[in-house]
Amino acid sequence: MIHIQDKKSMLGQGILIFIYLAVLTGLEFFVAISFNSVPLLVVVALVKAALVLYYYMHVHKLNAESPDEDEDSYDYKTGTNRLGLWLFLISDSFVFAGLMVVRINLLGLTRPHLDQTLGLLVTAVLLVSSFFMNRGETLMHGGDRKGFLTNTMITFGLGLAFLIGVVFVEWPNAISEGVTPSSGAQGAAFFMMTGMHAFHVLTGLIFLLVVLVNGRRGVYDQQNYPVEAVAVYWHFIDVVWIFFYPALYLIGALT
Amino acid sequence: MRHFIIVGILVIVISILTYIGLAAIGLMPLAASAQAGPIDWLWNLEVMTISFLFALIVVPMAYSLVVFRRKQGDTTDAEHIEGNTNLEITWTIVPLFIVMVFAYLGAGNLAEIRRVDPQAMVVNVTGLQWAWTFEYPAYGVVANELHVPEGQQVLLQMTSNDVLHSFWVPEFRVKQDLVPGRLTELRFTPTVPGSYKVRCAEICGTSHAYMEAPVIVSAQADFDAWMIDQVALAEEAAATPEGRGRALVAANGCVACHSVNGAAGIGPTWFGLFGRQERLTDGSVITADDAYIHESIKAPQAKIVAGFENQLMPAYKFTDEQITDIVSYIKTLK
Amino acid sequence: MRNKYPVGSGLLLLLLGGAIGYGIGLGIDMLISGTLNYSGSVASAFALLLAVSSFFFGVFGYRGITRGLVWQVLGTLIGGFFVTGIRALMGLDLFGSFFFTEPAWVFGAFSGVISFLFGVGVVSDWMKWARGIDTPEHHEDVPTWEKYLGVSLDHKVIGIQYTVTALVLISVGGLFALIFRTELAASQLQFLTTTFKLFNQNGPQIYNSLMSLHGMIMIVSILLGISGIMNYVIPLLLGAHDMAFPRMNAFAFWIAVPATVLLLMSLVLGGFDTGWTGYPPLSARAPVGVQMFFLGVISAGWSSILGSLNIIATIVRMRAKGMNAMRMPIFMWASIATSIIALTATQLIGLSFQLVMFQRLFGMGFFDPAKGGNPVLFQHLFWFYSHPAVYVFVLPGLGIISELLPVFVRKPLFGYRWVAMSSLGIALVGFLVWAHHMFTSGMNEYLRVPFMYSTLLVAVPTGVKFFSWVATLWGGKITTPTPMLFVLGAIVVFLLGGLTGPPNATVSTDLHLHDTYFIVGHFHDTIFGGFVFPFFAALYYWFPKATGRRMNEFWGKVHFWLMTPSFFVLTFGMMRVGLLGMRRRIVDYDPALGFDLSHLVMTIAGYLIGISVLIFIINLVHSMKNGEKAEGNVWNSRSPEWQVPSPMPAHNYAVPFEVVGEPYDYGLPGSKYVQFIDAPEHVAHPEIAGHSEMKTHQSWGQEQNDTHTR
Repeated sequence: MIHIQDKKSMLGQGILIFIYLAVLTGLEFFVAISFNSVPLLVVVALVKAALVLYYYMHVHKLNAESPDEDEDSYDYKTGTNRLGLWLFLISDSFVFAGLMVVRINLLGLTRPHLDQTLGLLVTAVLLVSSFFMNRGETLMHGGDRKGFLTNTMITFGLGLAFLIGVVFVEWPNAISEGVTPSSGAQGAAFFMMTGMHAFHVLTGLIFLLVVLVNGRRGVYDQQNYPVEAVAVYWHFIDVVWIFFYPALYLIGALT
Repeated sequence: MRHFIIVGILVIVISILTYIGLAAIGLMPLAASAQAGPIDWLWNLEVMTISFLFALIVVPMAYSLVVFRRKQGDTTDAEHIEGNTNLEITWTIVPLFIVMVFAYLGAGNLAEIRRVDPQAMVVNVTGLQWAWTFEYPAYGVVANELHVPEGQQVLLQMTSNDVLHSFWVPEFRVKQDLVPGRLTELRFTPTVPGSYKVRCAEICGTSHAYMEAPVIVSAQADFDAWMIDQVALAEEAAATPEGRGRALVAANGCVACHSVNGAAGIGPTWFGLFGRQERLTDGSVITADDAYIHESIKAPQAKIVAGFENQLMPAYKFTDEQITDIVSYIKTLK
Repeated sequence: MRNKYPVGSGLLLLLLGGAIGYGIGLGIDMLISGTLNYSGSVASAFALLLAVSSFFFGVFGYRGITRGLVWQVLGTLIGGFFVTGIRALMGLDLFGSFFFTEPAWVFGAFSGVISFLFGVGVVSDWMKWARGIDTPEHHEDVPTWEKYLGVSLDHKVIGIQYTVTALVLISVGGLFALIFRTELAASQLQFLTTTFKLFNQNGPQIYNSLMSLHGMIMIVSILLGISGIMNYVIPLLLGAHDMAFPRMNAFAFWIAVPATVLLLMSLVLGGFDTGWTGYPPLSARAPVGVQMFFLGVISAGWSSILGSLNIIATIVRMRAKGMNAMRMPIFMWASIATSIIALTATQLIGLSFQLVMFQRLFGMGFFDPAKGGNPVLFQHLFWFYSHPAVYVFVLPGLGIISELLPVFVRKPLFGYRWVAMSSLGIALVGFLVWAHHMFTSGMNEYLRVPFMYSTLLVAVPTGVKFFSWVATLWGGKITTPTPMLFVLGAIVVFLLGGLTGPPNATVSTDLHLHDTYFIVGHFHDTIFGGFVFPFFAALYYWFPKATGRRMNEFWGKVHFWLMTPSFFVLTFGMMRVGLLGMRRRIVDYDPALGFDLSHLVMTIAGYLIGISVLIFIINLVHSMKNGEKAEGNVWNSRSPEWQVPSPMPAHNYAVPFEVVGEPYDYGLPGSKYVQFIDAPEHVAHPEIAGHSEMKTHQSWGQEQNDTHTR
């Protein structure tokens, strides 16, 4: 449980980080369309990821344990769960890293014909959803269940919008542009990367739904690690997209 | 101290004996290329090192087992020794040094065997399930055997029509995979005339074990004579449909599956095929005529002869004229 | 349901179910193709599925694993028909030569795995949590053998489940090896001829399928074997009551079971001829069996990933009081190093196989040169896991060697810190060496030299281990009961594997050695030395802990003295013919090469190894009930698990312990590794153990010494 004073500053921090991220995304897009500097795009993506990892995913919490605690206490177990979740995310990130390697190897400095406006739009939607997720989590920590439910609901809605945007708008759009799964390396990389990411979004939505339903019943009023877990997972999905978005939409030249 | 001296002597004796023993067996096959020299030199150095390191570990182990066995009725523990930092540092640094030396030698060795001779004779190699074809661009000759003159570097420019293959002649030591969609290169300089075999070293399907082709190293004069024959044969063949068909069959490795002498194979034999009654998988009987053979080459899965259900014949992209030539060739097989 | 003859009725139902399944399959095949194909795939697939399910039904009734298998069969059929239905709506082909079409099989197999997990009940707690329902921390197990055939959250039960599954798989993989080893005994084709027909494959194709499956089944059995030992031992050594995530632990085991079924399904569904590496474009053309293989590997991969996640979390979070990093048993370091690799790199083999799977299903051209793909890219992704995987296989084994040596030498492990760090060193360097499998692959030439350097570097930490082991032996008071024999055997065999490594690392010599039987001999040495021998050592060593009985010493020694020389003959023979020109993965070799005699000898050696393992299994089963009682500190070890009576009580230590000394201070008077909190002087405390006839620590030691000198 954090103090009300803290809660305010935490919410403020969430807003500030969101503004940073939004500005960086705008900068990224601008860099891409004006002079397409790959190193700069990589740096921007790394900075964005670092911001999310530290301020939204609280990677530092992994360290915040005193070792002498009772091993059966909720706090100690939460620490173990936190470690477990991070280990899982490390493992999972190797899948995405592998896909990135596939993309770099097969496509090099080219990119598929995709609708850049649409790409920016779904990216913005996912980013905003991360902001609301952070807000919902912070409010839950502060004991504000109603605020948590509202914000998580918004997150869920935005997540769903992202999923629909990618699978039901972007995919048919790409196919009509001639980028299909079987059209060649570009199509294969594009559909595999967005598909794998969309699969994670789908699982994230399911977890969000579980947390929403249980949160409504008041399951997390005392012990709310599951909320944190879902938030961290959701932000992780965002971090993946922070790298995939420039890799698919921004870096390189059209062929 | 006495223990160390005994073990030290034993290590030296055993490593020498191991090395002599291994060298006496003759581990490597005949060295028949210029590249085999450096490779065998490095290998020999490695065998020496292996013999020494093997003795260095196994001798003290065996010695301890004999000398430091627990005595009958002894229930106490051994002397309490936790470790020795100097020793640990030594046996980290010394092996590090040794492996770096080997890496350095290995890099030099690699450079040596890859030395480029600009005069090298180019042969285009194509691997396919499950045959080799060798094209001599300078002569316009395609063969199923690799003939090379002694003492001249050969540059193989290799690719594959289907899956991965690997070119390996054990006597030449070097090996290189054939990758569809790209050219890979392999250089070797045959030094010992004789008859060898190239064997596919990368698993490539059902008949991987049989994907072999003769490699003939001969004196320049013999090679030239062979080449003149081949050129003449090629010209002769190009003049008749059967000849063109035979060349196509050779270039595409058909005989890897379809024997021309009646022997059983992956696919039905072509010996006496034309006009033969074949039983198909659906039970019907068909006569192998022009139309059927044409269809079977273009769409191999359309009508399958009973007994060959699971053999995936690749779809070749022949023109109709080429298929007619091949059928003419098949007609001659009786 | 009490069943007096579980195994008998199981075997009866196995035959019955197999026959019925075969009949059904024949009928279906007949309906689709119009001919009776007695050695066909559909009949075999149904026979396999129904035989396995009904065997467990006979043994166990309809619960636990039986329910899982039945659900898997149903899930496969429902998934298959679902896709077939969609295909019907789209107007595509409904049935292929293996009954279902390939997409239907893939989706069916996938839904079969998920159904298994629901059927066996391993996800039911999570489903409750998702509905906001709390579950008890532990489920009490039934005290009989039946707990092993259903979901249990006890790490000891899971450890034994893992170990037994590993032994079953080793037997299956070994049987495959004997089949194709027999074919290799002489040149030309003897019984796997081109006219031989089984599962719609001819002799060479069956050879390729068996050879490929031998590789992957052995790999899966190794992964399960190390998980078994780690699961059983780690919480005991740490003083924890269980693993950090008991449910995930159970999940990691149970997902390996449908994975095994899928691997076997790949054999009957047309097989695959790619070797365990599954390189495209060959794997993109192989029969549908390769898809089952991919799915099986991906499922087994998840088992490995989640298992290692659990192990890292457990070691980081659940150590006893006072057990700082340098006071952990050395096996912990090995386990952490292994788990770091398995946790991360395993994703890459899953990904690489998934990409081929999707290339086949959706025409995505990742590795298809005609579509701008790159076949060599697959090899990079694949080996990024599959080389470090070798260290996943051997590091726990090397940890077991280091763990057991001091006990039988009665002397501290020489240079604990260095041995511990060398495990991490191997693991970390192991991430940077993958491309040494690709020196001939046609990858960028300039990559070869740096990868040669990194590969040779692995020799350094490995060397530290060997020197430390020798220094541990030096000046000790060595006894050689069976576990110690296997430890010593492991060191020598692994030494051979290690020493034959550098010639493969230096590029120019590797150009000759690559893809030959030399490699086959080399890696069998590393795997036997790094896994098989230590695994047997661990089983002989911890068997009394699990059962309260010892395995038979005499037959243990027979096992060792039969297996070790045969194994040397086998691998020396392999390396010998490999150097002279024997390629890997061939069903037949040129008689002109003159390898017939060597291969005959190797085949005989192979059979002797098979017999020795059979002896081991008989010994194991027999000793469970009839072995000599051994409830005390049989090996006179300092390790905490031996300070309490065997078999281990359900929730491990009733009284927690504190680490008060170094783990391996043998020969240091008055020193102790662990001190039980609240227990005066000795562990021998009736309340702790619930065992009134407990002997003191000292008297166990005495007894052990007696048995040694006897």
